[in-house]
Amino acid sequence: MPATIDILGVRHHGPGSARMVLAALDKLQPDAVLIEGPPDAHDVLSFASHAEMRPPVALLVYEPDEPSNAAYYPFADFSPEWQAIRWAQRHSAEVRFIDLPWSNRQPDEKKLSESSVVEDDTLDKLDKPDKPGQPQQIRRRIDPLEELAHAAGYEDGEGWWGRLIEEQHHQREQVDKGENALAVFGAIMEAMRAVRATEHVDEADRNDIENARREAHMRRAIRQATKQGFSRIVVVCGAYHAPMLTSDALERVGSKSDDQLLKGLPKRKTAATWIPWTNDRLSMWSGYGAGVVSPGWYGHVWEHADQPAVPWMTRVARLLREEDIDASPAHVIESARLAQTLASLRGRSMVGLNELTEATLSVMCGANPLPLKVIERKLIVGVCLGSTPDETPAVPLQRDLAARQKALRLKPSADDTLLDLDQRKETDLERSRLLHRLCILNVEWGLRQQSAVKSTGTFHEVWKLQWKPELAVKIVEAARWGNTVLEAAQRKVLNDARRSSNLEQLTILLDHVLLADLAGAIEPVIERIQTISAVATDVRHLLDALPPLADVLRYGNVRKTDAALVEPVVTGLLARICAGLGPACGSLDDDAAAAMTRRIDRTQSALTTLDRKDLIEPWYERLRTLGEAAIHPRVAGRCWRILLSAQVLDTADAARHVSLALSVGNDPAFASAWLEGFISGSGLVLVHDRTLLGIIDRWVCSLNGETFDRICPILRRTFSTFEKPERRQIGEALKRSAVEPDSRASSPDAISPVGYDLQRAELVTPILRLILGDPL
Amino acid sequence: MTATVNPAVTTLRQTAESEYAAELAALAKVDDREKPPRWRLSPWAVVTYLMGGKLKDGTVITPKYVGNQRLIEIAVATLATDRALLLLGVPGTAKSWVSEHLSAAISGDSTLVVQGTAGTPEEAVRYGWNYAMLLAKGPSKEAMVAGPVMRGMTDGKIVRIEELTRMPSDVQDSLITILSEKTLPIPEINSEVRATKGFNIIATANDRDKGVNELSSALKRRFNTVVLPVPDSLDEEVGIVEQRVKQLGRALEIPAEPPAVEEIRRIVTVFRELRDGKTLDGKSKLKQPSGSLSTAEAISVMTSGMALAAHFGEGTIKANDVASGIIGAIVKDPVQDRVVMLEYLETVVKERDGWKDVYRACKELL
Repeated sequence: MPATIDILGVRHHGPGSARMVLAALDKLQPDAVLIEGPPDAHDVLSFASHAEMRPPVALLVYEPDEPSNAAYYPFADFSPEWQAIRWAQRHSAEVRFIDLPWSNRQPDEKKLSESSVVEDDTLDKLDKPDKPGQPQQIRRRIDPLEELAHAAGYEDGEGWWGRLIEEQHHQREQVDKGENALAVFGAIMEAMRAVRATEHVDEADRNDIENARREAHMRRAIRQATKQGFSRIVVVCGAYHAPMLTSDALERVGSKSDDQLLKGLPKRKTAATWIPWTNDRLSMWSGYGAGVVSPGWYGHVWEHADQPAVPWMTRVARLLREEDIDASPAHVIESARLAQTLASLRGRSMVGLNELTEATLSVMCGANPLPLKVIERKLIVGVCLGSTPDETPAVPLQRDLAARQKALRLKPSADDTLLDLDQRKETDLERSRLLHRLCILNVEWGLRQQSAVKSTGTFHEVWKLQWKPELAVKIVEAARWGNTVLEAAQRKVLNDARRSSNLEQLTILLDHVLLADLAGAIEPVIERIQTISAVATDVRHLLDALPPLADVLRYGNVRKTDAALVEPVVTGLLARICAGLGPACGSLDDDAAAAMTRRIDRTQSALTTLDRKDLIEPWYERLRTLGEAAIHPRVAGRCWRILLSAQVLDTADAARHVSLALSVGNDPAFASAWLEGFISGSGLVLVHDRTLLGIIDRWVCSLNGETFDRICPILRRTFSTFEKPERRQIGEALKRSAVEPDSRASSPDAISPVGYDLQRAELVTPILRLILGDPL
Repeated sequence: MTATVNPAVTTLRQTAESEYAAELAALAKVDDREKPPRWRLSPWAVVTYLMGGKLKDGTVITPKYVGNQRLIEIAVATLATDRALLLLGVPGTAKSWVSEHLSAAISGDSTLVVQGTAGTPEEAVRYGWNYAMLLAKGPSKEAMVAGPVMRGMTDGKIVRIEELTRMPSDVQDSLITILSEKTLPIPEINSEVRATKGFNIIATANDRDKGVNELSSALKRRFNTVVLPVPDSLDEEVGIVEQRVKQLGRALEIPAEPPAVEEIRRIVTVFRELRDGKTLDGKSKLKQPSGSLSTAEAISVMTSGMALAAHFGEGTIKANDVASGIIGAIVKDPVQDRVVMLEYLETVVKERDGWKDVYRACKELL
């Protein structure tokens, strides 16, 4: 008896399609179910009916040697393919994936991991029977579904298909659902045949070639199944492919030409497994995924096939209440009623998402769209993370991670959660280490947050955790580094360290290593830093590297890491900095000098926090010589200021240096730059030290008009860095000194700070009075 | 209305149901869908009446509302579910217009109106008394004077309440029983009026005005709300203005030619730019005047321009004819808005190609 072949053209995610597939399968009772999917995953197919398997899940097909080359095939509960697999397994029918193996596909240069399965849903299409595709020529990229929807008078393909197929509910009185489903599939086939017949195929187009190959492979698999003696074969595939897989098509094309097409394809080694997936990734909102706008809604329709309106509205009301927005049961009833009336007004047999949303807006939200926006993601997309049974083949690294997660009671969740870790507790410390290690492996499950509590405590760490399904791939990717999280992180760090010769990167790496407590990696990384810093010619990099290391040295002990290891590095770095600082500060332009000043400041504050005499003394010594060297005046000024603030320099000395820098012999530009370096940041020194203020005051007064104009902007910039009260106090101090002539006896040539001679001014006042008509 | 004089000739403005009687009749003829009790047309036909379209028998229905069909669908569906409808929107977004046409299409009668003002008494909403009879015979059914709401309830018709939020709160709340229990108690004679099927309320309110009486949440809960937005695009708004100006010109018998689309486009552009606070190309920011600058105002600027052109001008609309209207619409506050307008003239209008005449005409008046 020749085998019968039935083709069920579906859309990959659609509750209506799924339900019809089930009805059709029940009716046809096939002994083989062939599904458009990657044969690479054949070995793991049996897990689909595992008790602990809960969709959304995805098949992950990857190259073990190059795990970043991977493709996902997501399945939700309402995916027709998923239901077909489950049906076949329930009824002990043979189930097979028949698409072109992923191992034979041409790797798409750069968007492999990104685009993955998306290609399928631009292809799977269907149409309404009474309106065959009218456009004469449809390029597949134009998306036939859209075209057909437009022909039927709909805005978008999704809405049109949704209304026709997915949201169609089966009336109870319907005698034979299976019969009905088969009729619909027949109609879909007709429509798609019309689309395919008018379609223009470009021989050279990559997508078209790929598509031809995939269909050839599917045909070959069907032939093979017939040969093996299966008598009732059902093929579940994207509607777009349906017309090319029928027994007619099998005969028309012939196995020879198919073999020809499939000859000489590349062959790569692949492995497959199931990974948990999320609704988010099923929706288009995230940029990629399998192209369903509203998985939450589809899931709902799948669950509540007959009467979706009331349960949906109840869900809306619950979500609104969670956000503290009033939504009473009366609201639920009224909005469900409105949605149903709207649907009948629009001639629909069942309410759709549009009607429900509009009713919600009008009844519950008073036409204010904001509350709806708040719950939109939870409602329409749905926050849902699938799970896979423990026995699913997984890379050892993933198993290790799962074990660690279990031990530390850190459950992956698709929702954002904040985690405040107190590192004085053993578990929290372990958790923090795990998260840091994962970060090193680029598995960004947790994101370090700025602590909300004051940042002075070093034992608090705040993380934002969100599990994203693509992290599963990152884990597979990271698996090449090792079989446990610790081991992999350590190897990855060592590898990074070996490859990097950038001192700053290395110090950041060291920081990570210490946070992640990778004991085995600390020493090599530090050695690497030593080596690099020894040959580093640029003191700027050394200066940049020192503060983070100093932090490690200072706070490392809180995390129970051996900070002593860092100490030699810091000492070595500082020695090199001191040696190289002089030349590094020579011949700087203004911008470079400003940057250098900032670096010196940072190093200074790092060293101050370390509070180690043996480290800081050579540093001050170096600054002192630097201040006297012929370097950029701004840096020099800064050196003296640091020394003054650190009380290494007494005020008398400081006054001498200021006076020297500001003396007449110096170019005013030099003097002002020096002054900027010296006083910028805080004006307190001027408030408290009148001598210094006097020197500066005298210097300013001695400038002639033209020079003053030139210098003024720099001075203004300098003084503007002071706090407002500081500026005021300085101003008051200057005013006082102007009133008390004895305080400025040493500067007889200075003019009054207000800028005019009172006595001379008084001479003109009588005339002025006269002019202004003042009676006095 | 006496039958001797044709009202269409003398009435300044006809009710929707008489002005569009032909369209309503044509719709009723082809309408074979199910109608809610006492509705003249099916919900589908009501939507078609408002949105316009061509019927099977070739009759063209003019669009009454230019905008999103979904909104009108929600409005009609709301009335069909016996929930009251609240039309919200800034002034001039066709709220009253829509409510009038909805009641004309559904009940064939748009005259049951309560105008909400700060002084609307409860009697206007419920019922009053014929005091002579009340004194002579005491409280009785005969002594009662039914208000529009009461009449709508007995006749099963749509009642319109204009500017609901301007009514005092206690008067607003007298609607609660009517809306939730569909009865109007008359405690004086220990009786009540029960609403006949087909009765419903369309209220309009604007959400821009200050000093309105916010609806109590008990009342709000009994309304389905539909917000009528300002037109989305320039073309849509130009279309609305053009259509209405033509109709009004005919109704008011202004002997001027209807204005060219270009002229309308300029006025609408001015209104939209000032309303949105930025130029249409999105390049420069503008100060916003205090008025709401609705489409309705643009329409009245055009019609007054037409009248000016007809009686004092050259018969076709020139910039001079609309300038006073524009300024009148924009400069509501003589100090602040004047600055806004001057700035707009100097920075935007002056630079625009072909807008010299507008610039000069407005500048003269300011």
